[in-house]
Amino acid sequence: MSADYADLCSAILEQCFGKVVQSVADCLFSATTRTLSQIVSSTNFSRKEVGLALSVLIKFRLVNFEPSKSNAYLPEYSLRREDVICLLRYSRYIHLVQSKYGNVGASIAEELLNSGSDTATSILLKCLSNGENKSETAESYKNILLKMIADHYIIKSPELITSEEGDDLVPRFLTNECDFFVPPIIDLQLLAKIQKGESTLSNAQDSAMVWHLNYDRFHQEFRDDIMKIAIERKLGENAAECFRFILNIMYNTTDPWQRRVSNQVTYVEIKQTIERKSNNLDLLKHLDQYIALITDDSLGFLRKVGDMGGGQYVVDMESSFESLAFACVESVITERFGSKAARIFRVIRFKKFIEQEDLQKEAMIPAKEAKSLAYNLFQEQFIHVKVIKKAGGGGSGPAKAFYLFQIKTKDTVRMLLDVCYKALYNIIRRSNFEKSEHKGLIEKSQRLDSIVETMKERGESEDYIAEIVETFTPPECEILNKVKHRIKTLSKAELTLDDTIFLLQMYQHHCTTLPTGIQKFK
Amino acid sequence: MAAEVAQLLLSVIQGIPGGATNDDLTKALSDMPAATRVEGLNILLQQGGIEVLKKGEKLIYRAKDPQKKSALPKDADNEEKIVYSIVEEGGNKGIWIRDIRIKSNLNMTQLNKILKNLETKKLIKAVKSVNASKKKVYMLYNLEADRSVTGGAWYQDQDFEVEFVDVLNQQCLRFLQMKRETAEKKRDGPLAFKQMSCCSVKDVHKFISDLGISKVNLDEDDLETILKTVVYDGNAERILQSDGAYVYRAVNMPLPAPGLVQMPCGICPVIKNCSDCGDVTAINCQYMKDWLD
Repeated sequence: MSADYADLCSAILEQCFGKVVQSVADCLFSATTRTLSQIVSSTNFSRKEVGLALSVLIKFRLVNFEPSKSNAYLPEYSLRREDVICLLRYSRYIHLVQSKYGNVGASIAEELLNSGSDTATSILLKCLSNGENKSETAESYKNILLKMIADHYIIKSPELITSEEGDDLVPRFLTNECDFFVPPIIDLQLLAKIQKGESTLSNAQDSAMVWHLNYDRFHQEFRDDIMKIAIERKLGENAAECFRFILNIMYNTTDPWQRRVSNQVTYVEIKQTIERKSNNLDLLKHLDQYIALITDDSLGFLRKVGDMGGGQYVVDMESSFESLAFACVESVITERFGSKAARIFRVIRFKKFIEQEDLQKEAMIPAKEAKSLAYNLFQEQFIHVKVIKKAGGGGSGPAKAFYLFQIKTKDTVRMLLDVCYKALYNIIRRSNFEKSEHKGLIEKSQRLDSIVETMKERGESEDYIAEIVETFTPPECEILNKVKHRIKTLSKAELTLDDTIFLLQMYQHHCTTLPTGIQKFK
Repeated sequence: MAAEVAQLLLSVIQGIPGGATNDDLTKALSDMPAATRVEGLNILLQQGGIEVLKKGEKLIYRAKDPQKKSALPKDADNEEKIVYSIVEEGGNKGIWIRDIRIKSNLNMTQLNKILKNLETKKLIKAVKSVNASKKKVYMLYNLEADRSVTGGAWYQDQDFEVEFVDVLNQQCLRFLQMKRETAEKKRDGPLAFKQMSCCSVKDVHKFISDLGISKVNLDEDDLETILKTVVYDGNAERILQSDGAYVYRAVNMPLPAPGLVQMPCGICPVIKNCSDCGDVTAINCQYMKDWLD
């Protein structure tokens, strides 16, 4: 966790939940755990405000609480720092659900994201009353919801343990792995009654079962997409399809977030699955060749480990994401320092350790230019220098030492990730700035729009409406369009930037032992 | 009389390839008195027909290669001979003037004069080294300088020819891509496609030679270095064959342009200094302004 990430989290939380939540979260970010009174004293908000902020954060599963070790009546709060950035991915989550389950699924996901976590009945109720898809029945909403649970996109939150020892104790939760995706019982008749106002939500049977989106499942989908696209770009569509099947088979036996390599998959399994599910004749005909192709490729996605069952393979997540993360680092270097610098970077990566003189010979770049590029890369921490001192310089004469360039892969990636966080923070800040700078104008146009809307409903004459619209002068209109364009560009950049962040985070998960946001079922 | 003795001695010495000791000479020419022998040997030494070597305690006389001897004109004086032989030892790697001075024990002005003399007579030449532009090395006139001195095909005088390398790099890449495209058109399955898109260094060498873009003669090693740069540019892959040789093939990047470089912060040279306060902030950033408008 870097200072850049702290800034970013703070900005995201301010954007989503406002100032109070922001400062409470800031206070929690800097500490492992804090008690309520500690937060109150350091933020200067009232106890009530802080309590409210905490409850919002808990509802959105951004804060955990546990009884203090010394006092079972005193809760200690901690921030789930890694999850804060997921708030920015909401549009991607909804997009994914929409492509899989259509509009109904999208509105379920949207309601769930808006409320953080909720009971099944309440979600359905909200979706139905929102009424974006009037034609859909409660039945179809229910079916899609159950399907999303079965596909692990929605997960049950741990249930509260009701204890008899007393109500003052800090509440505890029961985490039961078998229970995460058990479908809830939804009473459609009751739902209809509540809709008509004949009953209340508290009568629903599932009021104790709270559901939320399972981010990991979405991230798994994003990760697979990255890998499939990489294969498609390098080896073509058929190979990508083949790899998609391999991943599906892999998930039968492997925890999706196993860090380095997957469990084994045999050739026979792959063949059978593809024969059953695919009608791509070319793929079926050359299946062994496609597998050999993916195995031999320098990306190192697939590795052969044995001959059982026509050949045993493992999906090598570590080498996959190392190749992909470095493809990303290399393109950043190309854009920032030029293609010659990228060449130097690759030379160092291939050679592991290399001296300045050999570097320029290997890269075929004139000495002066190579030196300046290498030193630039070093200054920006893309590459590092290892000094090997020869024994016995003894202070007399020049010290004898070898300066070897090398790449500390983890450091380089982390540095780039921090740059991404900073860039994202800058986007949010700039976007807020643009909005506040032209606040008057934006509000005016919104007011005008709503006035015109009501006038149209009342059926006023066209001339009169046009007259009202004209109060918004052309120069104002021009500025507004410019600002809108800027904000649009910024939010687009926010999304594409998150792709880079996600890729680098995957590198950290699969290639290092650093703690990452992914736990097996959070 | 003395010349005859010298001829006689020379023929004896030439007869023993490892060099003749004094004993060998007395044995072969037992009727010759020691004084005459010494006189003859002196003449030979002066003419440069033989050289004296020391082996343990004994002196050995050895005939010099007549070819080498002929390079140096008869009128050369002793100093010139010594300098010439030192330069000769340097071979095609050349020898630095300071090393000549130390070895010959001559003073600087004298040495300069001798070297200049030898140069005008076209017996030796000075070559500038690519490794240190101010360092001049001397070698015999008829020798071709070593690659470590001239830097090989990529250097014109001491300058690295960037454009030449770049052009070759582009042409090699074009060739690899062409090969890939022709392979794509044939639909013989993925492995066949992969094999067809691979090129050996020989193929590339032939292509480049046929193109005729190079005035200098390039060998396969030269092209291998160029192909490696194509690999280092991320445009090609180097694949080890079962026979130990490498083949090359053009590849695509596995990732589209990352989101980071699509906005100014990804390529910003001062991102390190960027913060909420100070001169570099997201609000008054000129790069950001240019990008948004």
